[in-house]
Amino acid sequence: MRPRIWITLAKGVVTESIRRKDVWVLAILGVVIIFAAAALGLVGITGLEIFMKDLAVTVLGAFSTILAVLTSSRVFPEEVKNRTLYPLLARPVRRGDLLFGKFLGAVVVSWAGFLILAALVSAVLFGLHVHLGAIAFQYLFVKCLGLAVVCSVGLGLSTVMTPAAAATTTFILAFGSPMLSRALVLTAQGSPASLPVCRVVEAFLPQTHLFDLGARLVYIDWSPVSLSVVGGLLGYAVVYSSSALFGSWLILRRRAF
Amino acid sequence: MAQSIAVSDLVVRYPSSGGKYTEAVSSLSFEVREGEIVGFLGPNGAGKSSTLKALMGFVPASSGQCEIYGHAAGSVAARRVTGYLPEVAMYYPYLSPLETMTFYGELQGLRGAALKKEAQSILELVGLSKWMKTPNRKLSKGMLQRVGIAQALLGRPKLLILDEVTSGLDPVGRQELRELLRSRQRQGVTLFFSSHELSEVENLCDRILIIDKGRLIDERALAPLQEELRQFAVVYLGEVELGDIARSVSFRGESRLASFDTRPKLLEAVDRIHSASGKVVDLIAREGSLETYFIETLRRAA
Repeated sequence: MRPRIWITLAKGVVTESIRRKDVWVLAILGVVIIFAAAALGLVGITGLEIFMKDLAVTVLGAFSTILAVLTSSRVFPEEVKNRTLYPLLARPVRRGDLLFGKFLGAVVVSWAGFLILAALVSAVLFGLHVHLGAIAFQYLFVKCLGLAVVCSVGLGLSTVMTPAAAATTTFILAFGSPMLSRALVLTAQGSPASLPVCRVVEAFLPQTHLFDLGARLVYIDWSPVSLSVVGGLLGYAVVYSSSALFGSWLILRRRAF
Repeated sequence: MAQSIAVSDLVVRYPSSGGKYTEAVSSLSFEVREGEIVGFLGPNGAGKSSTLKALMGFVPASSGQCEIYGHAAGSVAARRVTGYLPEVAMYYPYLSPLETMTFYGELQGLRGAALKKEAQSILELVGLSKWMKTPNRKLSKGMLQRVGIAQALLGRPKLLILDEVTSGLDPVGRQELRELLRSRQRQGVTLFFSSHELSEVENLCDRILIIDKGRLIDERALAPLQEELRQFAVVYLGEVELGDIARSVSFRGESRLASFDTRPKLLEAVDRIHSASGKVVDLIAREGSLETYFIETLRRAA
């Protein structure tokens, strides 16, 4: 356990993201959404509340996932491509520490971006007298868990793929998670013999759609999920991310650079 | 004297197309003693960088052993005592040299005021005091090389492994680097470096290793080699006896060629030729060229 090294590496990822203005781009997009939403509010559309919440949840989910995918799938291969990896590997740092530090950095960047955007969107909704309620905290917490899973997938794939290929694959897995799960269910129903294979494939696929409580936030009469469900999601996120990182470490530990 | 580097029967293979392997380093064995400055020479593709990468643990050895101060090459313990300069210096473009040093210093285990002080003093030492806070992306190639040298010196390593150390440096920079490396040697630091700049090697090294096609083809201490390569000779006419001071005397048509080990012997020979009414036709007095020796060694090995 070398938390100081993890923190240093994570700080490096965060600094890069800030200096490359990734988070600023996100903040600007957030401001654009504020103005767009405010304009709609001024027009005085009736039944605006659900629409506004829906828009906010969609934008939050999409932008934070984009940030998580782009950050996680680029941190490692960029080091290889730019040859900044050599002085890094020359330090007394284990490859496992390197991987975990980078993961931590990607998670912090995606969480920070998500929370900044969420704060901006909440401010706009509050200004328009649209209240989210306490369920918003549950939504934020569970979404953060989902972003950690996305980061582990992006980082893991980037150890075996180019940054572009890793990003594309992670996008497909992150956004297409419900479709892929549905496709597997249909395949298993159509051909019962394929059920064991479908189950194995499903276990490997990240179930990111499970972490989206957006609908509960949008529809007022939907209640929060129970704590046991949140606990289950937390467990899934920890186990899936750890497994993805462990698999990446197995690839990375003997890789030649 | 303790060994800084011990390499024994090192083989490095890379996978190539068709499930085959390319052998970059073949049964390479050598040692570097503590406090030595050793130049690692070879033509392009000879296996120099692969050897250095194996020493740093960037590529796994297919077989054989590499040790740094008794620790397995690439282990955390080995890397803790080693400073490394990669062949192509690339550093985070969005950081300044001071931030780069702080980042690497923290990974080295340094912290707080001590790290800041060491980082600043090394940056001053490599001539980057004016550019400490300038983003790396705005620095020239030579300045980036200085950042690379600075990061290699962080944490007071006992061994410096430098790949193409003078790359991108101007003559003034090279001289400053020479002085810096010599001062580190006086402090007991071992230097193992590769370079295509043979004049730098001549100026710095105690010993040279020459490799070609992944194999060690020559290993020489530099001082005796330079002595051996020096040429002092006279071409003269007349019956003059020089056998007692000359290394060799041979006939060249009507004239004779006498070679000597030292300059005083050559001067004495010239005196004798004049005294004996002989005639000096030509005088040869030059330091040996490591470059010529290097090329001839490669030709012999081919």
